[in-house]
Amino acid sequence: MIELLERVADEDPDRPAVVTHAVSRSYRDVVDDAWRVAAALTRAGVTRLAVVDHEAPVIVPLLAGASVAGVEVTQYPPAEPDEIGRLLASFDHDVLVTDRDDLAGLGARIVRTSEMLDGDVPCRRPPVADVRPHLVLTTGTTGAPRGVRHDWTRLAGGASHVSTGEGQRWLLAYGLHQFAGLQVLLHVFAAGATLVAPAPRRPAEGLEAMRRLGVTHASATPTYWRFVVAELRADGGPVPPLQQVTLGGEAIPGPLLGVLRETFAGAAVSQVYAASEFGSTGSVRDGRPGLSVDVLDRGEQAPVDLRVVDGELWVRSRTGMLGYHGEPPVDADGWRPTGDLVEVVGDRVLFRGRSSDVINVGGVKVHPLPVEERVAAVPGVDLARVHGRPNAMTGAIVALEVVPTPGADLDALKLALRAACADLPSAARPRSIRFVETLDTLGGKIVRRQTQ
Amino acid sequence: MSTAPEDVQRTVVDFLTLTAKLPEGFSADTPLYAGGAGLDSLETAELSATLEDVHGSDPYSTGEMPQTLGEIQAFYAASGA
Repeated sequence: MIELLERVADEDPDRPAVVTHAVSRSYRDVVDDAWRVAAALTRAGVTRLAVVDHEAPVIVPLLAGASVAGVEVTQYPPAEPDEIGRLLASFDHDVLVTDRDDLAGLGARIVRTSEMLDGDVPCRRPPVADVRPHLVLTTGTTGAPRGVRHDWTRLAGGASHVSTGEGQRWLLAYGLHQFAGLQVLLHVFAAGATLVAPAPRRPAEGLEAMRRLGVTHASATPTYWRFVVAELRADGGPVPPLQQVTLGGEAIPGPLLGVLRETFAGAAVSQVYAASEFGSTGSVRDGRPGLSVDVLDRGEQAPVDLRVVDGELWVRSRTGMLGYHGEPPVDADGWRPTGDLVEVVGDRVLFRGRSSDVINVGGVKVHPLPVEERVAAVPGVDLARVHGRPNAMTGAIVALEVVPTPGADLDALKLALRAACADLPSAARPRSIRFVETLDTLGGKIVRRQTQ
Repeated sequence: MSTAPEDVQRTVVDFLTLTAKLPEGFSADTPLYAGGAGLDSLETAELSATLEDVHGSDPYSTGEMPQTLGEIQAFYAASGA
């Protein structure tokens, strides 16, 4: 990553690299901070560390500096001390970079950011490491998070095709502890663009950042975009003049693409299919749901190849992870299931949901996503979540949670929801409908695990 | 909502009306399944979820299989809920 930053810093040192409501850090500032970090870590002899709760102006130079020094960084999600303690134990971290006082006493050596970022830029830069490891935790939407081992050189190689984007201002809607956040980061710096990083990263703050900080491009999960559209409807304020709207991270309902095209009329809408484990398979810009069947069976030479096995998408990736933490390296030429259930319809590969989201209703497997798509199109529905609800009669039933549009007649809406699903197979019809104020999300994704 | 017999009756009648399964002359002794309201297994599952949502518990989740509204009312009376 340092090479991407230095390329722009040498060309245009004052160009903003990272912007928040509070600060603006230029490419030169970030490069200088990165070398301070590299020198500090080298001096301290640190080889692995965890980091908690830092905002982008700090975490970006930390990641860049650590990669130069060959130090494996893992950014933890924001969490309470008990959870941080569990993560430290799970991932064998004994160095924790944080400015939080409540994380002392967890058994890890605490390093304050001031210990790395203060002082002069080193005159003698430490040698650049050949191996640049990085560990990304999965969001844990289907269980405990796993550590996914990456290499910065390999990750940055995936951004080598990015064309110049001076003047573009990309919203950071993901956390930098997420793989999708790192992808945005690398794309921005490869393009020589500016990262706009509001804190916190919730959709309301994202929308405010789009309006106040001149965001031109934004990449987020479908769930995040649904919330943004709901916020726009609720506050009635101006629609940000985005040039690019990108979706990824979870299955993308077809109707949402139409809503986004209508809402952000001047923006190109694209989809990215990527995951922590296998990296990115590229973007789809034709505005249609799903992927083109051209992504399947591209041949041995393709760095990333996909195929459908028993209704599930499998991947072979030479640009993805090296392996999971604590496990042997994966075979880059081996095929692995993605957990994404798909159906080939005509010339498209359409996503039906995650294998872990399938609801078993009396022995009938129900995919929540098609039901959710149908419900989301009902007027009066701002957001919807379909999930399994345990039931003594059938094992589980399809349950629906809906965030209604403010002022909606809930009795009439309930009838409309039933009518919208009336022609679905009996097992797929929602048998439990609840109106809620908001939906639980994790890492910007709707949690569809079976719940009580 | 309380588990008084009249409240439980309202929940069941509302549910049968919503699902277009309310037979003429429905009473506490009308069978809920074949020969009466005609609920199938998924509709019964939905009734159980509805009872749980409205009254906090339901007889089906405790392993019972009430045949009539009267037996559902008896479940709540016996549980003292």
